[in-house]
Amino acid sequence: MSDKISRRSFFQRSAAAGALSFLAASGLNKPVYGMTNSQEIGTVIDLSKCDGCKNLETPLCVSACRQKNQTKFPEPITPIKDYWPQPKHEDWSDKRGLTTRLTPYNWNYVEHVQVDHNGETEDVYVMRHCMHCDNATCQKVCPFSAINKDAHGAVSINENICFGGAKCRDVCPWGIPQRQAGVGLYLDIAPTLAGGGVMYKCDLCRDLLAKGEKPRCESACPKNAITSGPKEEMKDYAKARAQEIGGYIYGDVQNGGTSTFYVSKVPFSKINEAIAATKKAQDDEKPGRPLMPADVENYLDTEKGMAIGVLTAPIAGAALAAVTVYKTLKGEKVDD
Amino acid sequence: MTNKILRQSRANRFIHWGTAISILLLIISGMGQLPVYKRYNVTSLPGGEWLGSFFEMLDLHYLAAGILIFVVSFHLVYHALRREYDIFPKKGDVKESYLIIKAMVTGGKEPPADKYLAEQRLAYAFIGVNVVVLILTGIVKVLKNFAGSQLPETLIALSTHLHNLATVLLIFGIGAHLLAFIVKANRPLIRGMFYGTVDEDYAKERHSLWYNRGRGKNITKTKDKEVKQKNDSQNKSLDA
Repeated sequence: MSDKISRRSFFQRSAAAGALSFLAASGLNKPVYGMTNSQEIGTVIDLSKCDGCKNLETPLCVSACRQKNQTKFPEPITPIKDYWPQPKHEDWSDKRGLTTRLTPYNWNYVEHVQVDHNGETEDVYVMRHCMHCDNATCQKVCPFSAINKDAHGAVSINENICFGGAKCRDVCPWGIPQRQAGVGLYLDIAPTLAGGGVMYKCDLCRDLLAKGEKPRCESACPKNAITSGPKEEMKDYAKARAQEIGGYIYGDVQNGGTSTFYVSKVPFSKINEAIAATKKAQDDEKPGRPLMPADVENYLDTEKGMAIGVLTAPIAGAALAAVTVYKTLKGEKVDD
Repeated sequence: MTNKILRQSRANRFIHWGTAISILLLIISGMGQLPVYKRYNVTSLPGGEWLGSFFEMLDLHYLAAGILIFVVSFHLVYHALRREYDIFPKKGDVKESYLIIKAMVTGGKEPPADKYLAEQRLAYAFIGVNVVVLILTGIVKVLKNFAGSQLPETLIALSTHLHNLATVLLIFGIGAHLLAFIVKANRPLIRGMFYGTVDEDYAKERHSLWYNRGRGKNITKTKDKEVKQKNDSQNKSLDA
């Protein structure tokens, strides 16, 4: 970036600094942050602050999440059957200690990549978990309505209803929910023929949010790299922060908008390429290590025209019937 | 060759086949909302790959739903305006169905029937109720999918479960509808749904009330006219 400050950029930076000061003064890190129960929450994940807790074996946000959610982790009934007729099933129960990807036993992780930017090699640490989309595809298309989005915008899976078909993972642009076989409703209905277990993912600590507390990953972060609060304020904060560091935002527009806003001084396209390259080098094709593609369209938005067609069909049908009956009566053609 | 009489008007055939084809597509695409085609290797069959795409299946589901709703709406308005309610269940239909099925099995005499047999009216009601439930819950599901809409959780869950239940019941109903043609006595009706007409003798025997009430009378009248014309011409020739 140029060192010269134009009149315009001076005002922009002043506004950004002002917004930051306001947010700091309004107490972003206080337990109850002036949220009402129906207010949507946004989360800013500031990659310029995160160092991945590199001196620790497991980043604190990850270990805090694991500790908080351990009672919800699946306890499969063994032996676990294959998904007939496929000779396989998804079982992570013997890899409970794995903290380097998303699994049913690990709902967030930190991806570490090195990215060349402005002539320097930057270490980038990206804490990944559910983005909690505005129009969450997984929630909308779950065939059993097992996924809910609450007033805070937290998208969560009901483990008592989930059949484990993994459709949510297939339609999620980031493939976030992870499946564990040998647990859940399908065992009581048709364990051999249908279903595959239960899907697990971050629920934004919705129980804590309901009590006015912050998500556990945020409170555990020693660098204050994770900040949550009223969504619009967080969006503004992300913008201000990106402007301050001359960086970029990810998550504000992807999949039609999410409630997670990553801020980085390195372009996300480079981070995305680096994650893809790392996975390729490690020959890692399993789900649970999402990329960060820039263009993520929400498919349900493209269905709008079709949906309107469905909703207008009754009027068209009624109109044709009325015209037909009118013509028939006029023509007096009786055909019982 | 036996005489044919009109049983299913063009509108009725449009309704029947429009409903049948759209429901078939809805079942295929509805199953495609579940991860079954991939699991059961249907996607690896030639040309079956698209069945594994949830979104292509959703497109097809919307398209077929549009056709079904169009046809059902046409059906309701068309017959309401013409005040045609032959296919609505009547009091005593359950008992009468029993008697008809008993007669079919034992080879006895069926009670006289109107345009539709009692069990046909009941089958219509069963399939009709399920289709209406599917349409109403389906509309809720369409509204749910709009960006920015967050319908109440209980409404979404209720719609989903009712939609799934009605689907199972409808498939059961369609199965029973098709199985009915195992019975030989029902087969002459198939022609009616393709060409519109059925054998007059069949209508006279099996749907005597309808035959005598409607088309039967017309035919009788036609015959009377023919006799009258014949007599007139004979008289004229006699006069001559």
